Amino acid sequence: MAVGGWICLLAPLAGALLITLAGGRISRRTAGWISTLSTFVAFGGAVTAFFATWAASPDEREHLSTAYTWLAAGDFEVGFQILVDPLSTVMMLVVSGVGGLIVWYSMGYMGGDDEERRYFAYMSLFVFSMLMLVEAGNFLLLLVGWGLVGLASYLLIGFWHKRPEAVAAAKKAFVVNALGDATFVLGAVLLIWETGTLEYFGVFERVDGLSSTTVNLVALGLLGGAVAKSAQIPLHTWLPDAMEGPTPVSALIHAATMVTAGVYLLVRAHPIFEAAPDIQHLAAILGAVTLLVAGAVALVQWDIKRVIAYSTMSQIGYMFMAAGIGAYGYAIFHLMTHAFFKALLFLAAGVVIHHLADEQDIRRMGGLKDALPRTHIAFLVGTLALVGIPPFAGFWSKDGIISSALATGGALGWTLYVASLAGVLLTGAYAFRLYFAVFRGPPPEHAQEAHGHGEGPRSMLVPVGFLTLLSTIGGLVVIPGVWHPFTDWIGETAEALVEPTTAQDYLTSAIAVALGLVGAGFAHRAFRDRRQLVTSPGAWRVLEHKVYFDELYDALFYRPAVALSNALRSDVEEPIVERSMEEIGSGTIQVGGGVGRLQSGLLRSYALAIAFAVVVLVVVFVAVR
Amino acid sequence: MDGPDVGWYLIVAAILFGIGSLGVMLRRSPLIVLLSLEIMLNAGSLTLIAFARQQGSLDGQVFALAVMAVAAAEVAIGLGLIVAMARREMPLDVDRASTLRG
Repeated sequence: MAVGGWICLLAPLAGALLITLAGGRISRRTAGWISTLSTFVAFGGAVTAFFATWAASPDEREHLSTAYTWLAAGDFEVGFQILVDPLSTVMMLVVSGVGGLIVWYSMGYMGGDDEERRYFAYMSLFVFSMLMLVEAGNFLLLLVGWGLVGLASYLLIGFWHKRPEAVAAAKKAFVVNALGDATFVLGAVLLIWETGTLEYFGVFERVDGLSSTTVNLVALGLLGGAVAKSAQIPLHTWLPDAMEGPTPVSALIHAATMVTAGVYLLVRAHPIFEAAPDIQHLAAILGAVTLLVAGAVALVQWDIKRVIAYSTMSQIGYMFMAAGIGAYGYAIFHLMTHAFFKALLFLAAGVVIHHLADEQDIRRMGGLKDALPRTHIAFLVGTLALVGIPPFAGFWSKDGIISSALATGGALGWTLYVASLAGVLLTGAYAFRLYFAVFRGPPPEHAQEAHGHGEGPRSMLVPVGFLTLLSTIGGLVVIPGVWHPFTDWIGETAEALVEPTTAQDYLTSAIAVALGLVGAGFAHRAFRDRRQLVTSPGAWRVLEHKVYFDELYDALFYRPAVALSNALRSDVEEPIVERSMEEIGSGTIQVGGGVGRLQSGLLRSYALAIAFAVVVLVVVFVAVR
Repeated sequence: MDGPDVGWYLIVAAILFGIGSLGVMLRRSPLIVLLSLEIMLNAGSLTLIAFARQQGSLDGQVFALAVMAVAAAEVAIGLGLIVAMARREMPLDVDRASTLRG
């Protein structure tokens, strides 16, 4: 089963290297095909690994394969190793499968861009990095993948490097993620310090022997990394800006795969978090806060991609909540279905944007139902799946999470339960607001002139079709009370702490679907009456400013840093450093001038000086003795 | 052991060294300066030989031989320089050869 894993890991790397080395010798289209096919080869490897794992007996499903010792320092060794187990095979399938569809779609979307080859090289690099992240057999390799996906994300957000907003967004994403990476590294260093290893199983065996402070600090460090990568409050500000990148990038990196890496980390490192229950609950609370705030902000955004971006944050909030209360199976289940329907929404939005010649403002959209009939259906399916209407994918996974919160019980469980149900209401409202604004009603008077692409080339429509199918039936692997192979499968790696009863499941589903429909009803009424969803101007302003997080960080970090730098420049750099340089220079010249005068060129005076010095030395030696 | 006491040799060497160093310091002609240097070197050699005799060891004598060899080489270079200066019709005066002063 490890062979499949290695093929899965290395195929996209080979693709990236091939495109990079071939450079201008291959056509843009060839580069696109290399990237797409290498990702599908990876998918083939993932399928092989999955079925090999499936066929193995339940106690032999964890397979650690070490290629070589990658790093050794004394007793501390880290191998270049991959772990193929139920959790990682699912992640491999999602990353390479959805990734392959999106790369394929990119060939149509990016067609004609000047730097397509660079784009596809980056995409392959990203797929490789993400697979590295999910297949890593120890925390150090996980960190390598973690850093590489950050790099790929940076490169792709800033892909259109002639747009200053894109460059600024890329920098912002990188800086915020660097903060998370730093806490992650600190946690990893603490693990080396205390356990002497970074291998998953070695760490998990020894985690019980650690002091609670240590475990809490390690868990906090890992959580910091997860929060930054998954754009959860308070490190979420980079994700909406990241929408400056090309739409397929938003779909692949900032919706389907990379941003869910934090959830994967929480599930993968669950023994550490279970040993630090406070931190685990903190993750759940952060998730709940994020899903509410992001859902509310999504109500007022005008940019089609930003609405979906906030929706992504909100849905990852659900996953964090699930991982935080120990419903690991449902966290990964929602991660998978979210990858399907969110990628679908982004790609359908990409078709709309493509059709309208790069228009992203929903105020200048409307009535596209007839112009883009197939995209309309795809987007509607994505919306229904997002809101959690049965039988679409999101229904099964999201309701599992909410009923797990109910099953947790206690003050925490009930708070999370109420928050997540409120989130469903918000989801219904913002998702249908977007749908109505884009596809229903008459086209606005100053509508953007469609530039006659129609629905785009086949390479765009086929992936959208596949994702529509997946968003429709992808959730059927878990039906409460009937069967739940998916959560059992994940449970082999990370056994769930809570298991909702069938009654709880059906009760929650009834409430959640009703709330989702109520939200949709709000959106429809607002749309019919031609007014906004949020009518209070105060609330509108707060939400339009994204709850002032950017302003807060600006005042809290950016301005003090600038003020400090300016003060240091005027009070330290200029008077002390620069002036001292001048003084050192002129002082050296003066000393040189003085010493130079001693060299008179008079040979006899030199001789006299030597003789005199000898006499002095002799006298001194005689006197001292 | 025959001959004068080692002290006498040292006195002669000291006188020679004094004459040589005065010559280096007072005279201007490079030729005389070179000559005075040789006198100083020989004063040094004389003390080496004197002490070698007193100690009954040959080390000092060997040293003196080495010094003579080096002195010969040094004179060859020094005279070569002086000849070169004379050929260029430069003044044969060490005080005026001070182009390299700081």
